[in-house]
Amino acid sequence: MKRVVITGAGVVSSLGDTPEALHAALCEGRSGIGPIGLFDTKGLGCPLGGEVKDFDAQKYLGRRNLRPLDRTSRLVASAAQMALDDSGWRAEMRAVEEVGLVLGTMFCSVRTISEFDRRALEAGPAYASPMDFANTVINAAAGQTAILHDLRGVNTTVSTGVTSGLQAIAYAVDLIRAGRARALLAGGADELCFESFYGFDRAGLLCRSDGHEGHYAIPFDARRNGFTPGEGAALVMLEEESAALARGARVLAEVSGTGCGYDSSRGRDERKGVESIAHAMRFALYEAMLRAYEVEALSASANGSPGGDRREALAIAEVFGQHARTMPATAVKALLGETLGASGAMQVIAAIETMRDGRLPGIPQLEEVEADFPLVPARHACPNVDADNVLVNSVGFDGHSCSILLARVEG
Amino acid sequence: MQSRVVITGIGVVTSVGTGREQFWDAMLAGRCGVSAVESFDTSGYSVHRGGEVKGFDPAPYLFNLDAARLGRASQFAVAAARLALSDAGLDCASLDPLRAGVSMGTTSGEPREVERFNDSYVKDELENVGAEFIGRYPCHLISSHLAEELGFAGPNVMIPTACAAGNYAIAHAFDVLRAGRADVMLAGGSDAFSRITYTGFARLGAVAPEICQPFDRNRKGMIPGEGACVLVLEPLKRARARAARIYAEVGGYGLSCDAHHMTAAHPEGDGAARAMQQALAESGARPEDVSYISAHGTGTPTNDRLETIAVKRLFKEHAYRVPVSSVKSMLGHTMGAASAIEAAVCALAVHEDRIPPTINLEEPDPECDLDYVPNRAREHRVSVAMNNAYAFGGNNASLVLRKCEV
Repeated sequence: MKRVVITGAGVVSSLGDTPEALHAALCEGRSGIGPIGLFDTKGLGCPLGGEVKDFDAQKYLGRRNLRPLDRTSRLVASAAQMALDDSGWRAEMRAVEEVGLVLGTMFCSVRTISEFDRRALEAGPAYASPMDFANTVINAAAGQTAILHDLRGVNTTVSTGVTSGLQAIAYAVDLIRAGRARALLAGGADELCFESFYGFDRAGLLCRSDGHEGHYAIPFDARRNGFTPGEGAALVMLEEESAALARGARVLAEVSGTGCGYDSSRGRDERKGVESIAHAMRFALYEAMLRAYEVEALSASANGSPGGDRREALAIAEVFGQHARTMPATAVKALLGETLGASGAMQVIAAIETMRDGRLPGIPQLEEVEADFPLVPARHACPNVDADNVLVNSVGFDGHSCSILLARVEG
Repeated sequence: MQSRVVITGIGVVTSVGTGREQFWDAMLAGRCGVSAVESFDTSGYSVHRGGEVKGFDPAPYLFNLDAARLGRASQFAVAAARLALSDAGLDCASLDPLRAGVSMGTTSGEPREVERFNDSYVKDELENVGAEFIGRYPCHLISSHLAEELGFAGPNVMIPTACAAGNYAIAHAFDVLRAGRADVMLAGGSDAFSRITYTGFARLGAVAPEICQPFDRNRKGMIPGEGACVLVLEPLKRARARAARIYAEVGGYGLSCDAHHMTAAHPEGDGAARAMQQALAESGARPEDVSYISAHGTGTPTNDRLETIAVKRLFKEHAYRVPVSSVKSMLGHTMGAASAIEAAVCALAVHEDRIPPTINLEEPDPECDLDYVPNRAREHRVSVAMNNAYAFGGNNASLVLRKCEV
């Protein structure tokens, strides 16, 4: 089977816009969650979010005309620029070879869609904005980014909720293994906006927090009562290994295995939920031809959801057995919030940094886990995790789960 | 050794019929599903017609889920899925849930849920919006609801690549089966009629006032529609082992991106030609082998002209010998469902050697001078069929289906 490697990364997050900055913040326990400036949070159960403050896409994209792009598209295009630069895929190379994009997003921009409809409702259909209409399709960000960066290869949008970004990476890996694509940017994005925030709030999914110190969505903590929404974009450049080496690319990591599962009870049957998450992890291990005990660090999807975090922990216990008690594990959503489509890809980028310098972020607010939790994730950052193999999990609240194994590459 | 993949079941919900038989009869009869829009008030618009599915009742298709919990596109999708499984002679109970997956496409997901949200928003009554917004709106719920209703625990993906989504979803299901990740995949697309979509296209000046006339000299535009199609895809070995009826084999696919403009296709059809070329190359067919093309054929002046250019670019002289038809002439543009419905048309064409017409073709356009099977269905031996779809964002997808040689 062809080996697929990561040769570049780009990220825009509430904790920084480079993999190094994101990693440093996570390891220092700094939180990207705070009061929201993007919209009025009066009346909402939780006034906090992981907002990308002072986001200015022009900073990454130069003097290009960005007027047609909404926030989600700008986040994606910015992350794409950085991933292209980081991987050395210059514009003149993209003019000759077709680089593609596989983007995971839960909503693309539900804000754009809603505002388009509201304007037509309030002023009449003749006043709806044609430019905004182009952005009301869920593949808009992928299309806008392709235009800006001349990405004429495969252009796909994957929408599976929280797992979108990780499933997008898995989809891209499969295309490259099948010889269908030369190089693909893959990852995900979602923006913080009133419509989705309000929806989550009304559904009772959000952390009931009054913003006091220590009252955040705490993954795996026995007191957890919901997640805190975040936003951002994260993309990695994927290529077939020998082609990457042949062009002199710097290789960050190998994607050695992927797996996906689906809980058809959508959380109502704990056993089914646990099985589907375990299935995703096992399939990734099987593809990578690894034994469970060979995984040396785990990046969990846990975001503070009572049921979701528990199902993931139980699944980890099933797959890893005794090893789960000592395997270093983290949950970066403690500090980033739940960035939905971006989350899995952000976890991958953070995991690559862990493989590079041995530091694994902790979960700062974690105090106690449930009595029968088999997993003991660290409160503090681990300074010396020597991980050749890292497992990244993404688990959604509508049944989807996805796991990806990253392998360290020498040199 | 990668498995060969075949189509063994077809389920559709359309404005001209629900279920494969009713739908195909309508296609061959050239029946038109476009009518006066009833689902919302069009008095503020200059156009008033659409391809709505009228009188649809989801109840007969839902055994485990409550229709009230599902958005309209999900209801269509579940109905089409049940019909497809029944058409394939497959009983859910006989399947290993971990090995049964779903790959669906859509353009808008469930836009009516955003409309409901906004109806409350503009009246300052947001408290009326409850848990159902997140419970019904996100587009991944279409593939989720399918899996939930059927108990499928295998790979589950939603690919919202707009008007080409159906082809993308089927292509992905093809890959999943060939990679050995599942034993059966339900693949297709679904979209529901919505004022958001209608307003957008109307505002672009893209909507025809009366009829959709792909390739006609006087064509005035597309007509928004709705519907769903789900196909059952499985490895050839399994289909043979259970003596399933095989409609067609999936020969291959091609995906590309114009990277040119959000709503207008590349003027030289570059991306479209690349997608077609990849699909043909993978299926081991040459342009001369193609016996039918199901066109994207929306009926807009630009699409039909550019699509003709793209076909000629790849097929050269053979372009004049291969029949090309657009069922959007009958259904309007069913968005994310369109290329899935058109893939079903190709599968049936391959299976029965009959091709549906492009109706409303009254006056030929000198710039569109191919054989568009005007107005009457035709008997024609179809060994290789090509299904083309082009979407906003420059997303191009071509799918090649062929007779399954035993």
